[in-house]
Amino acid sequence: MESVRFIVGVILPYVALVVFLFGMIWRIRMWKSLASPSMTLFPAPPDEAANTRNVIKEVVLFASLFKGDRLLWIIAWVFHGVLALIFIGHFRVFTNADAILSACGMSEDSIQAMSSGAGGAAGIVILIMVILFVVRRMTLQRAREVTGLADYGALLLIGLIVTTGNIMRFGGEHFDLTLTRDYFASLATFSNASAAEVLTNNTFLVHMLLGLLLLMLIPFSKILHLGGIFFTHQLIRKQ
Amino acid sequence: MSDADTKDKVVNAIKAMKKGPRAMRMYMEMCAKCGTCASVCPVYFGKSEKRYNPAERTDVIRRIYRKHCTISGRLFGSLAGAEDFDPTTIEDWQKIFYECTGCRRCASYCPFGIDHSVITRKGRAILDQLGMTPDTMQQVVNISLKTGNTDGASAEAFKAAIDFLEEEMEEEHGVPIRIPVDVKGADYFYVPPSGDVLVNPEATMGLAKVFHVMGMADKWTMSSKCFDGANYGLFTGNDGDMKTDNKLYVEEAKDLEIKVMLMGECGHAYRIMKMMMEKTSWWGQLPFKIINCMEWTADHIKKGRLQFDKSKNPQPVTYHDPCNFGRSCGITEEPRVILKASCADFREMHPNRAENWCCGGGGGLSAMDDILEFRMEVSGKKKLEQVRDTGAKYVATACSNCKRHLGQLLEHHKTGVDLGGVHDMLSRSILIDGKAAERTDYV
Repeated sequence: MESVRFIVGVILPYVALVVFLFGMIWRIRMWKSLASPSMTLFPAPPDEAANTRNVIKEVVLFASLFKGDRLLWIIAWVFHGVLALIFIGHFRVFTNADAILSACGMSEDSIQAMSSGAGGAAGIVILIMVILFVVRRMTLQRAREVTGLADYGALLLIGLIVTTGNIMRFGGEHFDLTLTRDYFASLATFSNASAAEVLTNNTFLVHMLLGLLLLMLIPFSKILHLGGIFFTHQLIRKQ
Repeated sequence: MSDADTKDKVVNAIKAMKKGPRAMRMYMEMCAKCGTCASVCPVYFGKSEKRYNPAERTDVIRRIYRKHCTISGRLFGSLAGAEDFDPTTIEDWQKIFYECTGCRRCASYCPFGIDHSVITRKGRAILDQLGMTPDTMQQVVNISLKTGNTDGASAEAFKAAIDFLEEEMEEEHGVPIRIPVDVKGADYFYVPPSGDVLVNPEATMGLAKVFHVMGMADKWTMSSKCFDGANYGLFTGNDGDMKTDNKLYVEEAKDLEIKVMLMGECGHAYRIMKMMMEKTSWWGQLPFKIINCMEWTADHIKKGRLQFDKSKNPQPVTYHDPCNFGRSCGITEEPRVILKASCADFREMHPNRAENWCCGGGGGLSAMDDILEFRMEVSGKKKLEQVRDTGAKYVATACSNCKRHLGQLLEHHKTGVDLGGVHDMLSRSILIDGKAAERTDYV
């Protein structure tokens, strides 16, 4: 158990970060290096300003999907929206982001309430969305017939990460954020992270393991529509 | 060719996708298999089966790409959606990649903007390299490369057809209306699809009448060598053929010392000339401009220079936006200006413009009568519904391939609906010396 804790809690974070960063940099540079002859699809923006507006609409509102498949748009947009909120919320886990919130005038109690309320709701909503994605894939013929193991695998991975996160939030034991902040601080300063108390929490360990696995998979899977979409969207929509 | 040779060629062609273009490689990596493309594909609409799912069609190549070009594919094989190429399936490839019309509708709605027509063309390019382009398609390419046009007509046959059209127009209007041929130094060089001279000539007649009314009968010309903008190298995936075909026309334009290349009612011809050749500079700087005849005519209509007797086109008319004009070239308003000026009862299909549904004959499929059943029952199904919903008695469209396929579709399903081009409607109602054409029969 000690060795598992060490590998997952001390070695893997560094490995995952390096793999993720190098993976993303490599992939984006590789994409940029490939020739991209014009293949405009109309309606196309007449100038750069309109093009930028369209890109923002696509990335923030999922404009094409809204017209293509309304039901999928609802699930996907809520999922990604909540994911963005969770991503921002996690800064509280790594750092003392509360300082920024206090400076804006929030009391410690209201910060905690926001975290429990919004954070808790986010955890539930996103899990429902993941389940809906799975159900959609299994029941809608045009999705089911092209779905492979990797497609279900990605959803399973995300589902497990969310579930372990929810367990920590809603589980019986009180979960103390100072534990995680100490741990990440020790990782960042290359201090003795293996001594961090939070690593004795098995749910946390699994959450970390799966989360880091996801991080490493991003540059090498279809989840790289994070970033990729800027290229593929521009291929057809730029004049 | 032995199975081993076939496999070698196919695998190497797919491995080369790693080096680009960007679209090719990213489409292999980015597809999330969400199924949105299938919900907007005319072929999948016609028959909702896995085989006709656009994401499945590109997966035919993607599986092999994964097997040979990705770490997970090499390590985990089928678990990672990777599969090696099976040479016994190559004949099926011949059907599969000619079951997509290349309409690009998928690209319009895919959340990532993936354009399956690119991969379809890659599949066809691989088949072409193996000498396995379907016969019906290869014949058109061969005729075109040999005679300069897809109808295989000689310069004499062309000139005879032009003479005939001039006779027709004189009969209609009582005055000579000219179609100049091979005139050096003319301002405008009209390049139609050959079908608009030999099969559905009212389009050419319509344009000739516009030049006549504008007093510009001596300002334009056609070419007895180059009278077919159609370019089937696009459809077979053969870049070499596509460029060879195209160069002939650019050289002729330079030889005739014209100022404006006036492309006719042919979607893919205009797309190749304007959005590919000119835009990406195949032959360097050009001494002439390129516009479409519908833009040119619509401009004159908007400036009030042409008059019409709409009662000559009393029947309800609708317009089918050819995919290449609507989605690939952005030409949607000009044909409508012409039709609304020429017709008493113009009706829209829904959706239309860049959101239109493919007629079902795109990507060169309309030339393939060996897949007539597929076109009549599967790929054309949605368009048939759309036409019926408008209650129109005439479908106007600006593409020779659409005309061929749609004509067959409307006849096969006994709709009683007529079909023709955009300038056709203009030809029937434009006023020359205050009168529209006198005619009792239209072929």
